[in-house]
Amino acid sequence: MWADTILIVFISVCTALLGEGLTWLMVYRTEKYQKLKTEVERQSKRLEKRKEAHGDSLDKQHKKKIEREEEKLKNNNRDLSLVKMKSMFAIGFAFTALLSMFNSIFDGRIVARLPFFPISWIQGLSHRNLPGDDYTECSFLFLYILCTMSIRQNIQKLLGFAPSRTASKQSGGLFGPPPQQLR
Amino acid sequence: MSSPKANRGDKNTTTNASVPSVWSRAFTSNSKWDDKEEFLDVIYWGRQVLGIIVGVIWGLLPLKGFIALVLFAIVNAGSVYVYFSSFQSVDEEEFGGAWELTKEGFMTSFAGFLVTWIIIYSGMHFD
Repeated sequence: MWADTILIVFISVCTALLGEGLTWLMVYRTEKYQKLKTEVERQSKRLEKRKEAHGDSLDKQHKKKIEREEEKLKNNNRDLSLVKMKSMFAIGFAFTALLSMFNSIFDGRIVARLPFFPISWIQGLSHRNLPGDDYTECSFLFLYILCTMSIRQNIQKLLGFAPSRTASKQSGGLFGPPPQQLR
Repeated sequence: MSSPKANRGDKNTTTNASVPSVWSRAFTSNSKWDDKEEFLDVIYWGRQVLGIIVGVIWGLLPLKGFIALVLFAIVNAGSVYVYFSSFQSVDEEEFGGAWELTKEGFMTSFAGFLVTWIIIYSGMHFD
């Protein structure tokens, strides 16, 4: 089992690097992306500072200014995701092909044993294409997804490609404050 | 010391003469963190390392089942909480509350933990 699991880790490191490399080629190094990124970061920081300074004040003028800046930031964020989108599609396509190739290589093979009993909606992933009812057996797909989750994000962060915290906070992530907070 | 930071937003950790490096500040209690991003990065990477270490330990023991997952969450969140509230004693409100700090990098750390736990567990006990 060592060989399979180590191989899967290696595969996901390679695909993560490949993905980041391709995105760098198509997106990160372009002037448009870099300009937009610095702009978004600058605006997010300014907005955050402004909110901190005048967050609780009921001054209408400040509110309006903040609203206007939020609007600008939203537009820039939208442009940024548009720039990213095209290449994401291309890469997604390539990776789906790659994944199905690996899937057929590891088809029906138990690559690992899970030290826990997966809940029912995860069993579809962790027991994919495996014979039998022993749900502690782990398929390629589950381990690969987990590897990618941890490795890809860490590589992004190491290379400095991850979006900055202020920017993702201001654009309202999953747990971030809603952008209409001040309205 | 009171000089304004010229390199705000810069990811690289610069070592000024007056400010010790991020590494030494991370291991010294009650350090001064002018740049919020730096401190959040320390929390993030500390978490990743912790996740992998806990994964190796749980896999070697071996610890199994739901209880091991809960134990990981407690160890991970708990040690980060102790780190920023007692060891560094930062003002958590500056970072948007204790919750913001507790969830920084949690999912990535959890994925890293699962990977190492599963690999070590199946490698050591099922070959």
